[in-house]
Amino acid sequence: MSTLLFRSGTSWLHRANPLTKLCGLLWATTAAFVLPWPAAFALAAVLAAWGVQSGIGGSFVRRLLLLIGPLAIALLVIHGFLMHYPDSRAFGPLTFSLGGVIHALRILARLAAVVSASFLFVATTHPADLLKSMDASGFPPGLSYLVASPMLLAGMFAMRTRAIHDAQRTRGLALDGSFWTRLRALPALLLPLVIVGLLEANQRALALHGRAFRALPRRTVLDPPADSRGGIWVRRFLVLAAIMQGGLAFWR
Amino acid sequence: MALRFRFDTRTLTLIGLGAVINIVAGQVNTWLRLPIFLDSIGTILVAVLTGPIAGMATGLAGNMVWGLIASPVEAAFAPVAMVIGLVAGLFARAGWFRYVWQVILAGVAMAIALTLVAIPIQIFIFGGATGAGSDVAVAYFVHVGRTLWSSVGLTILGSNIADKVISALIVWFVIRKMPNRLATTYTMLKYNRA
Amino acid sequence: MALIEVTDLTFAYGAQAAIDSVSFIIEAGERVAILGANGSGKTTLAHWLAGWLPTQESEATRGNVTCRGRAWQDWPLAERASFVQYVGQIPSQQLSGQAFTVRDEIAFGPENLGLPEIEVRKRTAECLADCGLEKLAARDPFTLSGGEQQRLVLAAALAMRPQVIVLDEPVTNLDPAGCDDVLQLLAALPASTTVVLLDSFSRVGVEIAERFLFLHNGRVSLDGAAAEVLLHPDAIASLGLPSAAEAAWLARESGAWNPAAPIPFSIQAAIAAFQQVENAPR
Repeated sequence: MSTLLFRSGTSWLHRANPLTKLCGLLWATTAAFVLPWPAAFALAAVLAAWGVQSGIGGSFVRRLLLLIGPLAIALLVIHGFLMHYPDSRAFGPLTFSLGGVIHALRILARLAAVVSASFLFVATTHPADLLKSMDASGFPPGLSYLVASPMLLAGMFAMRTRAIHDAQRTRGLALDGSFWTRLRALPALLLPLVIVGLLEANQRALALHGRAFRALPRRTVLDPPADSRGGIWVRRFLVLAAIMQGGLAFWR
Repeated sequence: MALRFRFDTRTLTLIGLGAVINIVAGQVNTWLRLPIFLDSIGTILVAVLTGPIAGMATGLAGNMVWGLIASPVEAAFAPVAMVIGLVAGLFARAGWFRYVWQVILAGVAMAIALTLVAIPIQIFIFGGATGAGSDVAVAYFVHVGRTLWSSVGLTILGSNIADKVISALIVWFVIRKMPNRLATTYTMLKYNRA
Repeated sequence: MALIEVTDLTFAYGAQAAIDSVSFIIEAGERVAILGANGSGKTTLAHWLAGWLPTQESEATRGNVTCRGRAWQDWPLAERASFVQYVGQIPSQQLSGQAFTVRDEIAFGPENLGLPEIEVRKRTAECLADCGLEKLAARDPFTLSGGEQQRLVLAAALAMRPQVIVLDEPVTNLDPAGCDDVLQLLAALPASTTVVLLDSFSRVGVEIAERFLFLHNGRVSLDGAAAEVLLHPDAIASLGLPSAAEAAWLARESGAWNPAAPIPFSIQAAIAAFQQVENAPR
């Protein structure tokens, strides 16, 4: 399976119910669009601190910076120095706009909060647990299948792609050279992968039927993540708040 | 097109396959170093084989999985991934995956449609930038006096046209080369196999 | 009433009939091996026997398969899955793609049946132990070796507590070690389980089956015990001889084997027979 962003741990966040965390993510995402930008930055900072406290600090901060860094530069350049805002003033060949910088900061603050919340979620939630929660809560089994199977099959397909690449190269397929040479190599590399994949998908569907997949509307779940009545109410509250926040952001 | 919103199990496995191909085809590109993404081949394939709704689901599934394994912020572009499947499926349903010129037009249509969906996302959520090299193009367009909307639009369209046309052509090639026994298992293909 | 009844089954890939008017009966508890060369329609027949109706792969132009008097089409999915299980050639194709661990893969089927959690747990633990997978319980199924995956597929099938297991060339794609592991498991299947094996070599069949059918040109041309079927010229031409039988046959030709002694087919029978030859008074 491909490397996940998940980092194992024993923090409260790791043990919290995945669906509740997902609702929390939804709430934080909509909040980021409603809060004024200094408050959104503060939210991002709080979430980052929570990440550090939960033991996922290192990769968290690194990924946050990697994502926000280049964006910050691009946004500040585009909005602060290139775009024309009502308060733009000329400085030699460039213009500068404080309004533009504020706009860039507003976007960055939102993104920082959303990225923090997203990383916090994926780093403390193993996909298997999320999918088990979904199954246990009565989501259609087909839904969790759509998220699980690409993750599980990606590794095998990546190995196959490598094998096809090696086989075609020994047959003399040129992978270097002009754009057109390299473009012509594309079908030779992809066709075998796709055809085998299609044959396999047919077989897997038969195998799933053979194991009674979706024979019944609900399935038992072995060892689902812990949940509680309180958790259900928290989720309802978070989703309601998210909807209200989302509506407010949209209306503005 | 199924009116019920429940996919049968075989369509589910196809959607899963499409999502994997989206994820893995990008690896092929690192060897060939072509200036394209190749991250929608699976979406287009499933759309052509089973229809626009399944195509949309493939785009969404691939996008969500990518969000879980690489970059959660990508989830914001889920509507873009879905619209590719929608357009590809509609073109396929209309029998426009039969001849090369049709497929090229379908690729262009996909690029245009996705651009229209991506511009508001990129501007309202990301302020017009992405943190990638294409930001330079956006900056340049803004610098020479274009609005942010048209700068972002031109950049997205420019970087996607080649990718979507090539991806659509790959799918066309695949359905032509598909063994007959396999091809007859996809009822949607009857619109597009000569 | 016969457990599985195949009646005049005919299907074709395109114009060529792959299986032509095949009829036979399998009784409860039987261990049957259906042998035929590659391309003889074995896999499609195996799918039909397991109720995996491949309506897209090939159309049955005639005939049907019934189980306990009911056509497979009339069996609800959950009931069919609890009754018959299929194990095929390529293990990775039979993994659900839903389970992140070996344990979850085994539990997948029973979970789908909506069984109580305690029952799911019990079956999973038993199958993990029976198939020697306890040490691999937390592993990602897609990172296992071919032999390990096939054992997992078998464990997952057994977790459904089927009354019939259909095996379609279960060891063809495995290395020798994996092959031995799977053969051991097959030999240890509960005696009440009906086993139908389809294969192009008799290696597995001679270890587990008492009855042999030979598929030749789309028809069942032979049906009987090992000696009747496997020593028939048609079968030898198509399938060769199992190594034990071949060794004994050549020994008989060269006069080193008592012509009256029966030809052994399985390794165990060969060992016993050679020991008898060794111990016979000179």
